[in-house]
Amino acid sequence: MDHVDVTLNVNDTEHHLRLDARVTLLDALRDHLGLTGSKKGCDQGACGACTVMVDGKRVVACLGLAAQYEGRRITTVEGLATNGELHRMQAAFARHDAFQCGYCTPGQIMSAVCLIAEGRAHSDEDIREFMSGNICRCGAYPNIRAAIRDVVAEA
Amino acid sequence: MTTLEAARAVGPGLDRVDAPMKTTGRAPYPNDFSLPGMVHACLVHSTIAAGRVRAIDTTAAETAPGVLAVITHLTAPQLERGPMTLLGPSPPAPLQGDRILHYGQHLAVVVAASPEQARHAAGLVRVDYEPAEPLLDLHDPRAAVVTNPWGLDSDRGDIAAGFAAADVVVGGSYTTPDNTNNPLGLMSTVAAWNGDSLTVHDSTQWPHNVRTTLAAVFKIPESNVRVLAPYVGGGFGAGLRVWPHVILTVLAAREVGKPVKLVLTRPEMFTAVGHRPYSAQQIRIGATRTGELTAIEHEGVSPVAMDDDDYEPVSACSAVSYACPNVRTRDRQVRLNIPCPGSMRAPAEGQGNFALESAIDELAHELGIDPLELRLRNYAEEHPLLGLPWSSKALRECYLQGAERFGWSRRDPRPGSMRDGRWLIGYGLAGVSYPHYQVPCQARASLHRDGSADVRSAATDIGTGTYTIITQLSAELLGLDVSRVHFDLGDSDMPYAPQAGGSGLTGALAGAVHAACRRLVQEFLDVVRDDPDSPLRGAALDDVAVSQGRIHRIGNPDQGESYTDILTRHGLEELSADGRSTPPQPDAAGMATAGAFGAKFVEVRVDPDLGLLRVTRVVSAIDGGRILNEKTATSQIVGGTVGGIGQAMFEETATDAGTGRIANATFGDYLVPVNADVPDMEVIFVGGPDRATPVGTKGVGEIGLVGVAAAVANAVHHATGRRIRSLPITIDQLML
Repeated sequence: MDHVDVTLNVNDTEHHLRLDARVTLLDALRDHLGLTGSKKGCDQGACGACTVMVDGKRVVACLGLAAQYEGRRITTVEGLATNGELHRMQAAFARHDAFQCGYCTPGQIMSAVCLIAEGRAHSDEDIREFMSGNICRCGAYPNIRAAIRDVVAEA
Repeated sequence: MTTLEAARAVGPGLDRVDAPMKTTGRAPYPNDFSLPGMVHACLVHSTIAAGRVRAIDTTAAETAPGVLAVITHLTAPQLERGPMTLLGPSPPAPLQGDRILHYGQHLAVVVAASPEQARHAAGLVRVDYEPAEPLLDLHDPRAAVVTNPWGLDSDRGDIAAGFAAADVVVGGSYTTPDNTNNPLGLMSTVAAWNGDSLTVHDSTQWPHNVRTTLAAVFKIPESNVRVLAPYVGGGFGAGLRVWPHVILTVLAAREVGKPVKLVLTRPEMFTAVGHRPYSAQQIRIGATRTGELTAIEHEGVSPVAMDDDDYEPVSACSAVSYACPNVRTRDRQVRLNIPCPGSMRAPAEGQGNFALESAIDELAHELGIDPLELRLRNYAEEHPLLGLPWSSKALRECYLQGAERFGWSRRDPRPGSMRDGRWLIGYGLAGVSYPHYQVPCQARASLHRDGSADVRSAATDIGTGTYTIITQLSAELLGLDVSRVHFDLGDSDMPYAPQAGGSGLTGALAGAVHAACRRLVQEFLDVVRDDPDSPLRGAALDDVAVSQGRIHRIGNPDQGESYTDILTRHGLEELSADGRSTPPQPDAAGMATAGAFGAKFVEVRVDPDLGLLRVTRVVSAIDGGRILNEKTATSQIVGGTVGGIGQAMFEETATDAGTGRIANATFGDYLVPVNADVPDMEVIFVGGPDRATPVGTKGVGEIGLVGVAAAVANAVHHATGRRIRSLPITIDQLML
């Protein structure tokens, strides 16, 4: 099987990998870099559990091959906290009980962080609409919105 | 026998103790584990629903890059079916013959060095089928029917006389579709053998069941099996059984002599781990002109798999919900060539309540009585089947306080009478009487010389908040700050715990932890019994209280000493104690053990031109007994309500009528509620600790879901005048 040499910049660290060309960005993060915070919920780009930030934008990591992300700047949930201090969004999720099983949570948090950066968190209507790519089967949606509103208000 | 002081309800919402793990991505779910030398499995499934495997060609797969093994029914060893469990029989053992009983049945497992190689090779396996005509229709006369499958059919009074005495009779046929649990976590197993010892990471709601089953199937002592599930990506019932893929992963690991990981795909989650089965229900309710119920007759029929079992007494709710003298409930199952159904959040109750509470609403409309008032007039002060007082019941308060919060009095009863611009507005209500369930549980508590405590039990926290509430409860019972208590779970080497299911874990585990903590305090008193230096010398358990890391005599806080002082003076590092709980015995106590009660109030908006349906407000009023943590309990109710919105408006697993193929087995096709579908909600808890158990909880994991579908349907009727008797309520049913 064909292999590819890929350099991935993840959470400000460069990783040189030799991968089966079929390895997705999600599997590269999880299986090859040990960054298992990004979750696999469908492997079909439909649930958002694998959402990561690539060059400041939301990407579902299961839908792209790792080789496509050479030279891009990737941030995962593991890269959000700075100096051991939780990102405001992480703290807000804890405060508002914005998760239950926690499996979708890294994707929700990455999506929420990007949402604010995209300027799409101005209204509750916007938050509802633009967070609808992240399924929470436990049903924490109202609390997810509350957490996001809180972070927007703090900013 | 509630022994926690009501004034010290543990209640207020502590943030989840596992929040730092979950918000940073550090919480390890089963498929996050990788072991040295680990290889990967992928499954091959039947693409027909009935027949035989005539031939299976694995040559290409076996020679594909990286492949270590391809196991089929021709090469698999003989495996015994797993043992009977608390929840019924184990699923059939996989790969034990050429018979095909349902679409998606596992026909082979491929093991390769990488997941990509395993998936590629699985696609190279060629199956030659000898198809048979599958039984797929609930009404197929050839299908075997199981009557009264659980012995729960009930007859009370004289049903014919009850209907004869009725001034008004309403009723109809109701259907609920197949729904699929779809926890977001893809169910996964990582299995590693070391000699004849086995370690398994599994997406289970019940580690001990996995241990017992694997020990029996692979004929090794239970003590050789360790099952770990510290974090599970949801379950909603899908993790209650030891499904065939778990056994195949363990088998594969043994065959290749390496640790094996199997992660189910999303489509496999529709066929391999159960689902809420379709139901067809007939219900009739009779009442006097003044709204006294005279008769309820409720029949339910659901499919079950060919060689398997499922607990789904759909009509049972009608026997216990109202003080009606004449009640008849009947349930049947029909054996079909379908993937095995299984419990999905509020099994049976979620389906049966839709018919019952829709019919009650219809009756209220026919009688011209407010639906809330009709429910109160027929309030069951005693358990209708047992004739005993409830151990607790605050359903009346649920109705009254929920109505107040919702603004029910603003409801104009005439259908179609309330509008906001072009939107029709409807208010709907449903009541819920959830059954009590509890099974035995054990826990162990230890106090260390540094004043910290460890509490352990092999339970799971599938998002319910178990980590947090048991930490709080233990802290309360030992008089420690929550930061000094570490509660651990999810490991079958810990004391036995039952499944996270049936809304029964909190009660069982709280009882066991209560017993362990009380016994632990007793251990300390035993140590100082004859200690002349101890102010607690000779004290009995009932003489003392605990607070701030100390035991002291009740009413005299100065007369006591800290755990640390006792351990230090006696040269002990720690003391430990075991505790167990057993279900309350209702007859012995002279009361009927109550589950949770609830009332759901829903506002919908319907666009009369486009048939759009929106749920815009929900108030849930819940009697959940003692609420250990208002924050996590509220989340349980909100989350259950979201599941109920899914059942009411979106979710329907579609089976192709000719082939038995699941036609919408993706999140793109099987619709679940997303953020934009779900309004902000209000949850209020009413009532107090239940009398039947020491801690007084009642379990709130499922009740949040029940009643939502009926309340939405009733609100739709109020908005439009249309009585929708078939879920999900979709746009085509609402085009006016």
